[in-house]
Amino acid sequence: MKVSLNWIRQYVDLPQDLTMEKLSYDLTMRTVEVEGTENPADSLRGVVVGKILDVQPHPQADKLRVCMVDVGKEEPSTIVCGGSNLQKDMLVVVAVPGAMVRWHGEGEPVEIKPAKLRGVLSEGMICASGELDLQDLFPAEDDHEIMDISTFECTPGDLAADVLQLNDVLLEIDNKSMTNRPDLWGHYGLARELAAIYRKELKPLPPVVIPEGTPAYPISIEDSARCHRYMGIVYDGVRNVPSPYWLQLMLWKTGIRPINALVDITNYVMLAVGQPTHGFDKNHVQKEIIVRTACPGETLTLLDGQKLLLTQEDLMICDEKEPMALGGIMGGIKNSILPDTTGMLLEIATFDPIGIRRSATRFQVHTDSAIRNEKGLDTQRVVQAQSVAHELIGQLFPDASITSYGDCYPVATPDVEIPVSLSWLGTRLGRSLSREQAAQALFPLGFQVAGSGDSLVVRVPSWRATGDVSLADDILEEIARMIGYENFDFIPPAISLEKAVNQKNVRTERALKEYLAFHAGMQEVFTYPWVDQKFITAAGIPLESCLELAAPPSPETAHLRSSLVPGMLASIVQNIKYHDSFRIFEMAQVFEQGATHPSEEEETLPLQQRSLAAAFVGQDARVLLREAKGVLENMPRLTMTQPIRFDQVEKPAWADRKAWLNALVGDSVIGSLGVVSIKASRLAGIKRAQAALFEVNVEKIVPLASRTNVYHPLPQFPLVEQDFSILIDEDTPWQRIEALVKNNVQKIQFIEEYRGAQVPEGKKSVMFRVWFGSDTSTLTSEQIEEKMNGIIQKISKKLGGEIRA
Amino acid sequence: MRESLDNMKSKALQDILSVQTSGELQQVRQNYLGKKGELTVILKELSKLEPDERRTIGALANEVKDALNEAIQLREEALLDEASAIEGSIDLTLPGIMPPSGGLHPITQMSYDLNDAFLSLGFEVFTEDDITSEKYGFDNLNFPPEHPARDSMDTYWLKGCENETGAKRLCLRPHLTGASVRYLQKHGAPARFVYPGRVYRNENTDARHERAFFQYEALIVEKDFSFASGQLLMNTILEKVFGQHVDVRMRAGFFPFVEPGFEIDMKCLVCGGKGCKVCKHVGWIEVMPGGTPHPNVLKAAGLDPSVWSGFYINIGLDRLVMMRYGVDDVRLFHSADLRFLSQFK
Repeated sequence: MKVSLNWIRQYVDLPQDLTMEKLSYDLTMRTVEVEGTENPADSLRGVVVGKILDVQPHPQADKLRVCMVDVGKEEPSTIVCGGSNLQKDMLVVVAVPGAMVRWHGEGEPVEIKPAKLRGVLSEGMICASGELDLQDLFPAEDDHEIMDISTFECTPGDLAADVLQLNDVLLEIDNKSMTNRPDLWGHYGLARELAAIYRKELKPLPPVVIPEGTPAYPISIEDSARCHRYMGIVYDGVRNVPSPYWLQLMLWKTGIRPINALVDITNYVMLAVGQPTHGFDKNHVQKEIIVRTACPGETLTLLDGQKLLLTQEDLMICDEKEPMALGGIMGGIKNSILPDTTGMLLEIATFDPIGIRRSATRFQVHTDSAIRNEKGLDTQRVVQAQSVAHELIGQLFPDASITSYGDCYPVATPDVEIPVSLSWLGTRLGRSLSREQAAQALFPLGFQVAGSGDSLVVRVPSWRATGDVSLADDILEEIARMIGYENFDFIPPAISLEKAVNQKNVRTERALKEYLAFHAGMQEVFTYPWVDQKFITAAGIPLESCLELAAPPSPETAHLRSSLVPGMLASIVQNIKYHDSFRIFEMAQVFEQGATHPSEEEETLPLQQRSLAAAFVGQDARVLLREAKGVLENMPRLTMTQPIRFDQVEKPAWADRKAWLNALVGDSVIGSLGVVSIKASRLAGIKRAQAALFEVNVEKIVPLASRTNVYHPLPQFPLVEQDFSILIDEDTPWQRIEALVKNNVQKIQFIEEYRGAQVPEGKKSVMFRVWFGSDTSTLTSEQIEEKMNGIIQKISKKLGGEIRA
Repeated sequence: MRESLDNMKSKALQDILSVQTSGELQQVRQNYLGKKGELTVILKELSKLEPDERRTIGALANEVKDALNEAIQLREEALLDEASAIEGSIDLTLPGIMPPSGGLHPITQMSYDLNDAFLSLGFEVFTEDDITSEKYGFDNLNFPPEHPARDSMDTYWLKGCENETGAKRLCLRPHLTGASVRYLQKHGAPARFVYPGRVYRNENTDARHERAFFQYEALIVEKDFSFASGQLLMNTILEKVFGQHVDVRMRAGFFPFVEPGFEIDMKCLVCGGKGCKVCKHVGWIEVMPGGTPHPNVLKAAGLDPSVWSGFYINIGLDRLVMMRYGVDDVRLFHSADLRFLSQFK
């Protein structure tokens, strides 16, 4: 919201030496955030009034004129201008050389320099209103019309900003910072805050006295839960004419386009006290005002031309015949202020905020009126609005008079009284507080403080009593902000030490991630919980098994992940454009149909478990699979968790039919690994690369209480190292060779396997290394020979393998 | 002859000491002790001498021979020790051979750094499920029934329960604060804990806006805790992130779940508070909201608000990481793009 400081000053005498910085700071610290300040005069620095002395055709251009303009210098200036309405003796706005102009009110100011236009040197520019962003105050008939200020009393050379009275300070207030403060949505409310901050007096708004004998205007409220008060005042002797310049200027500066005097009055009242009002043409209102919800099938065409099909939820302002306005939101086009209006029925009403918000949202009409009414206004404010409106109407239309008046007032904003103790305030503020200090902070804001001794009874002003202030804690906040948060010193909290924090699950989650990142050389990635269904399908997960969002980011991302594999496939596709081989992992929650009650029985949430997935991308699927397996195999030792073993229990849908395994802790399957199947790769769009994945359920990884290191005494006698290369049936798994040899040696290690040239069809060559040793002596060559022969014979007898030459 | 032997010895010793390579040393050995070496020649001429003289000179010549051999051997060892392990030349500007390089996501890094800081103050780490209910996401937190954040325009509701209310209406959590009530219900008070996590908002995305982003929230609940103590939480976070003391200020702010509520600003580190482009010429940058838990929130958590009080702070991790490193597009965090992620170690 834009706030004019000149306007504020009508209600409070601010300190003379108050700088803009100080005011912005104080308001920001205590009340609402000032996002910026500006002076509209800054857009036309050095721009002056000029008087056109002569207009001649341009020798080179049909559409240009050469003007002699008095800009207050000794000699008239020659200015080339394309204006369609140039006339001798006209007063215009001239950007003379040296002036700094923010064209169209935007960007950085630009310095004006003399320039040749079609061969004629122009000493400046005669401005159109649009060029100065003043088109709302000086509407132009067409693009070529320059701004005519002949009606202003001024002399050539006067600063245009002064003549147009543009000097002001406009505060840009963050609307979000005052959603809870309906009282601040007008200048009077902000003036009250400033008066409180600077200990100045807020000028009262004099109440209007309705002349005795004024005929009553018939008003009935059928739904008093939705409309708490409706005041209708008929003014005769008004006309639909433009507002005086000062009024237009006030509205324009605060961001509202001037329209005509009657509409401008209603807008002015709203900006003054935050209370929306509406004007109806008196003669169009049939007999009476009825505030009621719409009947099915009723329609209303709004002022902006939008035609609404009303529902029974919408509260309407109607006459005897039909709805005339969407209550508290926008008037209808038919009965509002019209060109021939001579009498106005001024509506000042209080509505239930929830109904306003629902209707405004339903029809997407978030007017200034709706924005204020949906914050919850107090019924007492109607009187303030009446005061401002009455004074303004009297000023603009001295002949106007109130010819009829009604105030239907079924529900008053209730008085709120809050008991609060000084000692409690002192404890929570962290400093002792006297009764006087509390009253001093609260009184200027409109709170009344009563009670005795330690206990206070604080009476909340009506403008804060619509939900904003209702608890002792709210009173605490009022006092604290008025003292100023910057005036409270830090108090180190006192704590008691009972036991060390020891959260095994938190530790394990971090250990897993750090193991993968720092030991396994993998990069952590994040993906969204909603996944493009293409990748869900590629991973072989039935879409119908996934939870869905009611209003998803896009139609294809409606499903929530039940596995991290689809996200891994998407991440592979994302990165394969730039890298030939890489390793990534992600840990996040995945979601499944099911029932859990994390906090209470009444609340039933789906199954949500942390999952950990990793992808290994490269060219050789056999190697990638072994890399993935190695990372998993090594994980328990380095993360202080229970060991993992591998077996084939259930193939994951995305895995190659040959290359997959399950990971198990004890007998429980905790995850799987495998090469991404050709089909899954095709569906996901992974091209020219192979990938192996693993995914494990983190909830099933069992943290251990401490490290699992076991000490073995170092060998007393040297170990002997021997390599074997054997030729064996291709289907013989390494596990069998290892199991066979293990007991004959101290240690055995796989080195490599080989198929291809020099290896017969159906066979493979397997190379491994063993270490022999003895606890009692160094082995002799005969002993070594004997051990090696033992191994060779076992392999040949049990596995049909033979030693390669 | 004695004289020429002495001369030769000192010359030979000099030669031995001056050689720089073992090749040269061999040459010197050849020159003196070889078949036609100077000493060999002298020894050959011994036979021409008188027996007495032959004996003395012979003894002397053998001494010289031993001395030279010893000197040569010492020199040889010295030369060997001085030699390089590298054959030929070596380019010391070649890059090092890197260990396998992985890394944590920059958000995880920041989150762990903050966990460490809070752990040192005795805070626990708590995690809530991503899917929560309207009751825990809004009702418990003093959001009025008609609050706009409850709209599907703002919150991702799950399909099938959009029209339910309270505990039956489920959504991806719109913020972390709901987790605080879960923790307090379970563990009671006093309590000190942090609860980082991902939250979800239905919005249009651009370089500054995301649908899924990370928050870091911390809460202390103590008896009669003054908001003036809340600064501990802010300082802990900001000093950890920026590696230096950062001035903060608390100012009036409104959030349904706190009373009083604050906007917390930090002094702009670029200009030191003088005002610059980064802080929009204000000197301060808004970094986090905070405040005392609203009595209704404490009640929802089963605590008596007249006894218990406390302080919340909630910081947007994405924004903090963006500020810290100058990242210009929030969407990069969920891009899984290694060109981006691998920049953070």
